[in-house]
Amino acid sequence: MNNRFFTSLAVRNIKSNQQLYVPYLLSSTAIITMFYLMSSLLTNKFVQERSSVLPTLFAMGTIVIGIFSFIFILYINSFLIKRRKKEIGLYGILGLEKKHVAKILFFETLITTFVSIAGALIVGQVFGRLFFMLLNYLLRLPTDINYSTSPMTALITAGLFAGVFAITYLYNVSQFTFANPIKLLKGKKEGEKEPKGSILLFILSLVLLGWGYGISLTIADPLSAISKFFLAVLLVIMGTYLLFITGSIYILKALKKNKRIYYRPGPFISISGMLYRMKQNAVGLANICILASMVIIAVSTTVTIFVGTEETLENRFPKENNMTLNGTDLSQEELNTQFVGLQGKFHEEAQKIELKVTDMESYRYLTVFGNLEGNRLVFEEGFPAANVPLYIQVLLLEDFNEMAGKQIELSNGEALYYHSKGALNQQNIVIGDQEFKLKEADYDFGGEAAIVTTMVLIVPELSQIEMISEIYQQELPQANPASIDAFIGWNTDGTNAQKKALGKQMKQLSSASESLSFESREAFREEWYSMNGGFLFLGIFLGLLFTIGTVLITYFKQVSEGFDDREKFQIMQKVGLDKDMIHESTRSQIVWMFLLPIVTATIHVIFAYPIVRKMLTVFGVTSEITWLLSFTGVVIAFGAIYWMIYRITSRVYYSIVK
Amino acid sequence: MALLEIKNLKKVYTARFSNQQTEALSTVNFSVEKGEFVSIMGESGSGKTTLLNIISTLDEATGGEVYLDGKPLSNIKDKEISAFRRNTLGFVFQDFNLLDNFTIKDNILLPLVLSKTPVAEMEERLIPIVRKLGIEAHINKYPYEVSGGQKQRVAVARALITQPKIILADEPTGALDSKASQNLMEILKGINETGQTILMVTHSTRAASFSSRVLFIRDGSVYHEIYRGEQTSDEFMERISQSLTVLSSRGGKDE
Repeated sequence: MNNRFFTSLAVRNIKSNQQLYVPYLLSSTAIITMFYLMSSLLTNKFVQERSSVLPTLFAMGTIVIGIFSFIFILYINSFLIKRRKKEIGLYGILGLEKKHVAKILFFETLITTFVSIAGALIVGQVFGRLFFMLLNYLLRLPTDINYSTSPMTALITAGLFAGVFAITYLYNVSQFTFANPIKLLKGKKEGEKEPKGSILLFILSLVLLGWGYGISLTIADPLSAISKFFLAVLLVIMGTYLLFITGSIYILKALKKNKRIYYRPGPFISISGMLYRMKQNAVGLANICILASMVIIAVSTTVTIFVGTEETLENRFPKENNMTLNGTDLSQEELNTQFVGLQGKFHEEAQKIELKVTDMESYRYLTVFGNLEGNRLVFEEGFPAANVPLYIQVLLLEDFNEMAGKQIELSNGEALYYHSKGALNQQNIVIGDQEFKLKEADYDFGGEAAIVTTMVLIVPELSQIEMISEIYQQELPQANPASIDAFIGWNTDGTNAQKKALGKQMKQLSSASESLSFESREAFREEWYSMNGGFLFLGIFLGLLFTIGTVLITYFKQVSEGFDDREKFQIMQKVGLDKDMIHESTRSQIVWMFLLPIVTATIHVIFAYPIVRKMLTVFGVTSEITWLLSFTGVVIAFGAIYWMIYRITSRVYYSIVK
Repeated sequence: MALLEIKNLKKVYTARFSNQQTEALSTVNFSVEKGEFVSIMGESGSGKTTLLNIISTLDEATGGEVYLDGKPLSNIKDKEISAFRRNTLGFVFQDFNLLDNFTIKDNILLPLVLSKTPVAEMEERLIPIVRKLGIEAHINKYPYEVSGGQKQRVAVARALITQPKIILADEPTGALDSKASQNLMEILKGINETGQTILMVTHSTRAASFSSRVLFIRDGSVYHEIYRGEQTSDEFMERISQSLTVLSSRGGKDE
C-alpha cells in the first residue's frame, strides 16, 4: 500500500467527518491566527519604539498565547479523536495494522496542519491589515499605526504549530496503540474517569492562584512589577485550569448528590451531561475564563492610559510651563540671582503677548539617592541599580513655605520630611556628620505617583543643602556630582494657541542658556495623545482578537457538545422529553457557561489590580477612579458581548440536538 | 371496551423528491384488551415497526385512527404529546436506548424526572421495580458497565416506572442472546400477569410464544391471529411456527 492510497483515505476521512472537522479547522486556524498576529505586533514599529517596556510585555503576551494555544489545540483534538474512536476501531477489525492506522492518521494530521497553518498565515495577513486600517479610520489618531510582520514571525508560527500538531499526532497514535479494537468501538460511550488525587490538585490550584494573587498584592514598586507580572500570569493560568478541572467536578458531584436540585428536568440533563465529559467541559470553561481576563485587562488598561492622558500630562508637567535651571556650572550666588531674576522675566515675557501669569511655583532643590539604615542616610548612586534606592529631594524651607502657603520656622538642627510610604519611625536623621531632628511636613508631594519610593527633606538654609551635596560627593566620589537645581513652573491665562505661542517663546529663551531647559505641557499634549492613542489601538486590537477567540471556543464547545448530545436528546425525546424541556436544560447551563467564566475572570482582574496599577504608573497613570470606571465599563461591555455570543451559540446547540 | 383500538389505519410514505409512494400500512384493524399480552409478527418490511411507531405517537398515520381508552391519539395537542408519551406509554427498544451519561438508577428515573415527580415518590417506586427485575445491585453503575440482558431489564424498568397504560416493546430480544432473551421474556410475562398490558413487535417465535395472542401482519395489514388459550409456551410456539409456515407458503402462491 503506497502513500497515495493513505493520502486519499485521509482526505476521504476528513471529508466524511466534516461535522467534526469544520469546527476543528476553524478553531485551530483562529487560534494560530491569534498567535501570529500577536507575535507580529512584536515587530511593530510602535511597540518597538514607544517604550522599552512594551516589547517585553508583548513578548510575554506572545508566550502566554503560545501556551494557551497549545492547550487549546490539545483540547479540541481530544474532542475530535474521542468521537472518531469507533471509526478507527473499525479499521482494526477490517484488518488494518496499527502502523497502517498510524499512517492514515499521519496524513490526516499533515493535511489539517497544513490547512490550518496556511489558513492562519493568510487570514492573519489580511485580517491584520484590514483591522489596522479600520482602527486607524475609527480612532483617527494624529499618526497612523501601520501593520507589519516579518517572514521570521511567519516561520516561527509555522514551526511552533507544526510541533504542536506533531504532539497531537503522537497523542492520537498512543491512544490506538494501547487499546484493542473492541474497546475502541465502545470508546465513545465511556464517560471520563474522575482525575486521581483530585483533592491534592484542588489544593494545588488554590496554592497557585494564591501565589499569583499574592505576587500582585505584595508588589512593592513598578519596576519589579513588570518582571513579576509574567510569573503571576502564568501561575494564575495554571491555577485556573486546575481549579476548573478539580473544582467543577467537585461542585457538579455535590449538585448531583443534592437530590432536590438534581432531580429536576433541566439540571438532571445538564449536570449529568457535564459530569460525563467533565475534563473537556472544565478545560473549555477555563479557556473562556482566561480569554475573558485577557480581554478585560488589555482593554481596560489601555482605555485608562488613554483617558488618563490629561492627568498623566499634569503629573509629568506640574505646570503649563516648566523651566529647570541646572546648577552644575553655577555658584550658589549665581543660582540665587538667576532663580529670582528668571521669575520676574517670565512675568514680563507673558505680558509681551498680553498674557498674565496666574500661578507660579518655584523652588531650589537637590536630588540624591540613598537608603535609610537606621537613622543614617547612606548615599547610593541612582539608576541603574539592582535595588532601586530611595529618591531624595532636599528643598529649602523658604521655597517650601511659599509653595505650601505655610509659615513654618525651623531652628538650625531641624528638618521637615515627607516620605511616600508614610511617617517614619526615626526621630532624627544623620547625613555624614550632620544630624537633623525630623518633623513630618504636612504636605502632599504626590510621591505615590512616582515610580520609586520618594523622600523629601526640607532644611532652613541653602548652605545646608550645599553641605549635603558635598557629603554626597565625598561618600560617592565616582558618582556624577549632585548639583542644586531650581524649578520654576507657571500657568497663564489665555487660549491654547496663545499658550502654545508662549511655549515657543520660552523654548527659544531657554536654548540661549546652557543651564536652562524648558518643557511646555501644551507642546507635549498632542504627542502624548497620539502615543496613548497607540496604546488604545493595541488594547482594542488585542481585545477584539481575544473576543474572537472567545467566540470560537464557545462556538466549538457548543457545536461539538451538540453533536455529542444529539443522540442523547433523541433517546430522551422518545421516552417523553419535550422541546420546552430541551430549552430548559440548555438554560440551566447558563450559570456554568456564562456566569462562571465571567465571574472568575472578574475576580482575577480584581486581584490583578494592584500589579496593573503599579505598571500603569510607569505610563504615568495614577488615578484610581479612571481605572475603576474603565474596568467596570469593560467588564460590563464584555459581559454583554459574551452574553450575545452565548445566546447565539446555544441556539446553534439547540438546533443540533433538537 | 378495548384499551387500544386500531381502526382502518393507513400509512403511505412519499419520497421527498418524487411522487413515488410506498404503502407501509394499507388497512389495519385490531384491538387490545386491558391486561392482554399481544405480539405482532411479520417479516421485515411488513409494516410492524411503522405500526408501533404510530401507536407510540412517534409517527403520524395517513388515515384511520388509534384509540387509547376510547380517546383518539390524533386529538392530542403537540404540546401534550411528550407528556402523554411519558405518562401513558412505556417503551422497550431493540437497542435499549439507555443514556451513557446517567447511572442505571437515573436512566430508570428519567421519565419521572421529566414529569417533575417528587424525589421521595421516585425512590419509593424505584425499589420494588429494580428488585423485581433483579438489577438492584447495579443501580449505581453506568449502562456501559453491565451486560446486554441487564441493559434491557433496565429499559423495562424505565418503561414500568411511570405505571403506563400499555407497554410497547419493539423487538426487545433482538440484541440479546438466547439465555438473556428467555430471561427477559419471563420477566415480561410476569409483568403481564400482574395486569400490565403489553404490545410487542417481534421476529422471534420463541419470544412471541410468551404472549397471550399473536397477530400476523403482512403487506400492511393484519391477516391472521391466534390465541394461546390454555396451551403451554412450547405448544403455542409450535402453533406459531406452523402458522408462519402456512402463511409464507400461501403468500408464495399468491404472487
